[in-house]
Amino acid sequence: MTEAPVPVQQGVAGPFWEAARQGRLVAQRCQGCGHIFLPPRRWCPRCWSTELEWTPCSGRGRVYSFTVVHQAPSPFFQERAPYVLAIVELEEGPRLMANIVGVEPGRVHIDMAVQVTFERRGEVSIPQFTPAEEGVPDAEAR
Amino acid sequence: MPWGAAIAAASELPPGRYPHMTVLDLYEEAVSLLLREWRLSPQRVDGLLCAPTGMARGEETDIFTHERLAHALGLRPTFSETINAGGATYGVMVQRACWAIREGAASVVLCLGAGKFPRVGQGGADAMARMVSHPEFEYIYGAYIVPLYALIARRFMYERGTTRQEMASVAVSARRWAMLHPHALMRGAGPLRVEDVLASRPIAEPFHLLDCSVPCEGGGALVVARDDIAREMNPRPAYVLGWGEFHSHGYVTWAPELATTGARCSMEQAYARAGLGPGDIKVAELYDAFSICPIILLEEAGLARHGEGGRLFAQGHCSPGGHLPVNTYGGLLSYGHTGDASGLSMIVEGALQVMGRAGERQVPEAEVVLVHTYGGMMAEHTTLILGRKR
Repeated sequence: MTEAPVPVQQGVAGPFWEAARQGRLVAQRCQGCGHIFLPPRRWCPRCWSTELEWTPCSGRGRVYSFTVVHQAPSPFFQERAPYVLAIVELEEGPRLMANIVGVEPGRVHIDMAVQVTFERRGEVSIPQFTPAEEGVPDAEAR
Repeated sequence: MPWGAAIAAASELPPGRYPHMTVLDLYEEAVSLLLREWRLSPQRVDGLLCAPTGMARGEETDIFTHERLAHALGLRPTFSETINAGGATYGVMVQRACWAIREGAASVVLCLGAGKFPRVGQGGADAMARMVSHPEFEYIYGAYIVPLYALIARRFMYERGTTRQEMASVAVSARRWAMLHPHALMRGAGPLRVEDVLASRPIAEPFHLLDCSVPCEGGGALVVARDDIAREMNPRPAYVLGWGEFHSHGYVTWAPELATTGARCSMEQAYARAGLGPGDIKVAELYDAFSICPIILLEEAGLARHGEGGRLFAQGHCSPGGHLPVNTYGGLLSYGHTGDASGLSMIVEGALQVMGRAGERQVPEAEVVLVHTYGGMMAEHTTLILGRKR
């Protein structure tokens, strides 16, 4: 068993990880142009405004793309292989990379509705995604 | 419109493993080869461009390569720097060399590269994962180069309808070309069938082992010279007719689109500057770290309609004897992927095809060749259009 990789915190993402520790997913919203984005930045990547605020996300999204990884980059991930690496598009717009967990890798598909869950890694919690539960409104309902 | 510069000379070391040489040794070896194959005197050279060493190994990167090589060669150039745009480095070099020549800052520019791809099994994948993925938002999920490209491939397949078999046929076509190149790493491995690619072990779906380029070591050299000097060195130089460049994203997760890449913006610039269109291109050399890449790039170049790039490969049109030869040296898939020097291989080949020096694999109609290289996770793009006539 090798150590679980944890986010190398750099820049301005502190509040993102603090919210994640509490089981909440947040993104940055530009007060200038309204753009909602991740990962956190010092300025809005669309208009360069520095007037930013944190906004809660529903945690719902869809699989934008995914791959089932058989050969992992390190022993920690090899123990989890085959695992699903995906890009999830949140219903608020921003994209996040995550693993799709709690599902057979072969059942994951593009546009699959997913919802956030948090995985504890040492002192931090990282967002992961799992198939959305039946009856939970997903991105299609927006 | 003529740009006043041409690739006058191009040489490349056979791709392989050079365990007793450092990357700097490989640089010097590449220059030695150039000097054996072409007539060039030190008095003539006033420009020198190199790439950083050690990047693909994720360790001890040296960004003063141009100073070390100027010292080794006894050069005192008026135009010199170490440039990095990943796989697009050498496309960028040729462009910068053309600009310098056009501005009168230099007249003969040596463009050099060498690299060593680490063996993936020895911690190499993790070292490269740290380099190419976002340390806070990507690396922690087990991202590294192959799955990051697999995300691009999967989305492209979803949007354009490209099939696994079509992707596999890119590797099959590359092998057929490699078998015509005396130095191709996989020449001796014999022909490949679509079934072989599909039956190789999965790495990150949709990619199996044979969808991935072959890591190795190597290096090469180009001489970009002012037209008149180029013709003195080589009666049939490869004129640089057009060029384009575009940088679309930093990390795969936040690329605006995955099926539409920055390649299109780069290609469109190159066509416009050359006053040419897709119909004028006789041969395409398209950076192919993975089997999906030449399909994406064919469609981005307008050489295939959306959704039809894969079919061109599957029907053999891009193979030897086909009407649109692609990666005539075997590609990174079967010629070899020389780490930090990989982006040089397809420019060397494009130039040799235009010069009519490609030996057994020569495409007689190679009057206009499009060379596209990209770096990062399909993030940094450069396009060159090379031609026999100005």
